[in-house]
Amino acid sequence: MANATHNVIIGNGSAGNGAAITLRERDPDSRITIITMGGLPFYNRYDLPRVFRGCQDWREILVHPLAYYDDNRITLRRNSRVTDVDGRSRSITFAHNEVMQYDQLLVCAGGRGYLPEELSDYKGLMHSFHSFEAAMTTYRALPKDGTAVMLGGDMIGLDLARTLVDVGYRVVLLANEYTFWPHRIDTDERGGFIAALEHMGIEVVDDVRPVAVEEGAAGKPARRIVFEDGGKLDGNVVIPFYGLVPTAEFMLGSGVDIERGLLVDPQLHTTDANIWAAGDVCQIWSAADNAYRFYYGWSNVRQMGEVAARNVTGATEAFEGVGDERLHIGKDGRIESPFWEY
Amino acid sequence: MSGRRREEKESTARPAPAPGEGAVWYSDDPRDIGWVRENIPCQSACPAGTNIPGYIQAIMEEEYGRAYEINREANVLPGILGRVCSRPCEDVCRHAQPGNGETVNICHLKRAASDLKHVGHRITESLYGPSGKRVAIVGAGPAGVAAAHDLSLLGHDVTIFERESDPGGMLRYGIPAFRLPRDILQVELHNALRLGVELRTGVEIGTGEGQVPLARLRKDFDAVLLSTGSMAPVTLPLNAGPGKDDPESIEGVEYGLYWLMGSHRGETKSVGRRVAVVGAGFTALDCARVARRLGAEEVTIHIRTAEEYIPVTKDEIFECKREGIRIKGLRSPSQLSVGDDGRLRGVEFVQNRLGGWRDNGRRQAIPIEGSEFFEPCDTLLIAIGQRTVNDYLDVKLELDRWGSVKAAESGHTSKKGVFAAGDYVTGPTTIIEAVGNGRRIAAGIDTWLMGRQRRRQVVRIEPVAGPPRERSFDFIERQHMPTAALGERSRDLENEVETGYDEALAATESKRCYLCNLKYQIDVDNCIYCRACIEVAPKNCIKLVEGIEIREDGTYGKLVETSEWDEVGAIWIDNNECIRCGACFMVCPTKCISITRNEFVTQDI
Repeated sequence: MANATHNVIIGNGSAGNGAAITLRERDPDSRITIITMGGLPFYNRYDLPRVFRGCQDWREILVHPLAYYDDNRITLRRNSRVTDVDGRSRSITFAHNEVMQYDQLLVCAGGRGYLPEELSDYKGLMHSFHSFEAAMTTYRALPKDGTAVMLGGDMIGLDLARTLVDVGYRVVLLANEYTFWPHRIDTDERGGFIAALEHMGIEVVDDVRPVAVEEGAAGKPARRIVFEDGGKLDGNVVIPFYGLVPTAEFMLGSGVDIERGLLVDPQLHTTDANIWAAGDVCQIWSAADNAYRFYYGWSNVRQMGEVAARNVTGATEAFEGVGDERLHIGKDGRIESPFWEY
Repeated sequence: MSGRRREEKESTARPAPAPGEGAVWYSDDPRDIGWVRENIPCQSACPAGTNIPGYIQAIMEEEYGRAYEINREANVLPGILGRVCSRPCEDVCRHAQPGNGETVNICHLKRAASDLKHVGHRITESLYGPSGKRVAIVGAGPAGVAAAHDLSLLGHDVTIFERESDPGGMLRYGIPAFRLPRDILQVELHNALRLGVELRTGVEIGTGEGQVPLARLRKDFDAVLLSTGSMAPVTLPLNAGPGKDDPESIEGVEYGLYWLMGSHRGETKSVGRRVAVVGAGFTALDCARVARRLGAEEVTIHIRTAEEYIPVTKDEIFECKREGIRIKGLRSPSQLSVGDDGRLRGVEFVQNRLGGWRDNGRRQAIPIEGSEFFEPCDTLLIAIGQRTVNDYLDVKLELDRWGSVKAAESGHTSKKGVFAAGDYVTGPTTIIEAVGNGRRIAAGIDTWLMGRQRRRQVVRIEPVAGPPRERSFDFIERQHMPTAALGERSRDLENEVETGYDEALAATESKRCYLCNLKYQIDVDNCIYCRACIEVAPKNCIKLVEGIEIREDGTYGKLVETSEWDEVGAIWIDNNECIRCGACFMVCPTKCISITRNEFVTQDI
């Protein structure tokens, strides 16, 4: 297989793995390499709240058994950070200075939690929930019956919030314009959804602006939030949930067009003939909206990975997105979102 | 390889002495001049040609005053540019090449040289004797000030005519004090003009009442330099319906440049609750940050392309966002919406997609038909560019198709004895480009006035005993600029946001510089081809070559690499790949690797 096509996938999430297995099915002879910054094989980010339901062994959250990669002849490069992609020479440079050649590249690097720049000084005092390791750190920092303070409250955060409340923690949500992200909520609907959160046991403090996070006083919870009006709130952990921003910095010198994410056509093709993108990292041209837009949620992301892989192997299929993107309130008065479905 | 010849042995004007021998020599050999131009990317990218590795090494050695003086040789305003430079040097820094990490904070180190120099630091400059020539400079912006400094240093009597009440041009009237404190501006302008430059402020050039005609200046002075910058905004053809074609006539709409200039002249400015800024340059960002400090609750910068392609530094974008300002991309304003009370209600935009690259290196934005959308706002600040104004000219000068004065490389216009420099000729650029251009044109004026070129650039070559860097320096993280807490910024137009490196931060950051002015060479006569240097090198920087091409202009060209031992003419250090770690030097068993420091210096002819 000396001359087999080398398909490289950057990103080990739902899009990347959906792409990898589709590539394998459609091109049995190709070389497939998945590159990930993380230390674990593929697990589902949407599964991370299970950490608070007793699932604290990393093997329990893996989507596939370890043999899966060997069985499908997929090379998984873990703990590997890509720093640059050069579209002209079709090469990838890693932080450890290795250079890898590719024939076709699929960028599925996803997104990372957005922290508003005005809070960036306090990053070290906040917890995150973007990876298994981060979820475990948060789990260990939150004592039994402790208080988690959530800033913003996107749908990733609200998924965690409902789990925390179910298992006996106190959750205080500082709601703002990012609450319910990526859903766009009309002003007249917002009150109903906030009430539903309260019905679910989440304490909501609406329209306050945190300006600082401090270490808690002796004998008090570990953190203290300071508000613009001088008010304060104690909590054991503070977790920001302000939506996602694409992890696209390493593509800045690649030659592909970027706005916030990698700009792709409906076939998920970037402006480089040999580079495709899928998942939270890309903005897809929508003829209906006359604009580039993001599509979030497991169903969209998975479908994007598969569509991109089919197009890498010769198809010209357009990504259409899952139909219903609306947030709604179920019969039990709890919030339901297609974002949570997987 | 027609027209070129091969050279098997690297050579300079004279052979490198043994390490530690200490002799310094000067070379005008095209190979040495070409080497410095091509191997020090930061210096080549700097429009003023600042010796960046030179001043960073001085900081590493805690010689801040010397670092300041090295800066000042190329750029008379180091403390100012250390704060507001557009940093073309950092875009090409070898430390940012794939696999090497992040660019060195060159600009922050420039500021450190200025901030950390001894409080009693004295500027040293070699002066020429009086020439008896008189030069008038119109405009006391960065180009005019830089030219005035050099011309006065060269012995000419210089008078600057400035229409504003204080010198500085865009530095004073365009840039807010929270980015450029006025005491720093005042001191460096004073130092630039201290060699006998006469500054006449509040004097307008023109034919109106109380104005001085250009023809009179030409008569009274041996040469006249026009450096009036690009001090008018590019207009935006927006309307708000029939009869409302001038956006400025609508309450709540202003051109950002005039708005900032008014504010810096001391006029009281106010904004509405929601402010929209249209534009993508430093002026647009400054408008947004001033608006935030004046109490605007929502400030949004609307750009035609995307953040990645706008000509401002990443640090500026980050600080904007930190102050709560939003940047929204891929949109162009198409119409204004005005309420019955005559006040602005908002702006209609059209969605864009990215197009190709324009000649100026910027991205095109292509409007998408039928994609209009509305954004409400109370104040609109338009900052889409600046242009030159020639309405003060009473002497006929040839103009180009953009309305800028046509000038030769020396700055000479179509009128004998009238020169032009800076943004006035080039159109709006950056401060460092204006400074660099001002200095180049000053040299052109001097040559014209004296009838001969009096100075030339040569390469100063100094042997270096051993590598001044350690390999461990390559793994130091980029040191971020400390900034004022957000709480200290709000509603304060004076409080400087970036607070500067202390000595520890400056020392750490300076170690990151590869010092690309160091040239590592292998003496092939003493090399035993043991390959030890190749084995230890962290990059693909030591190469077996058949020879090296010499270009038509006498500079080094491509390496002719080979893997066949019987074709090897030399083992060669490719200084474009080399990160000056010194590993080869340390491991060489025959000590056949030498290091020299190569720097441009100016000599009298």
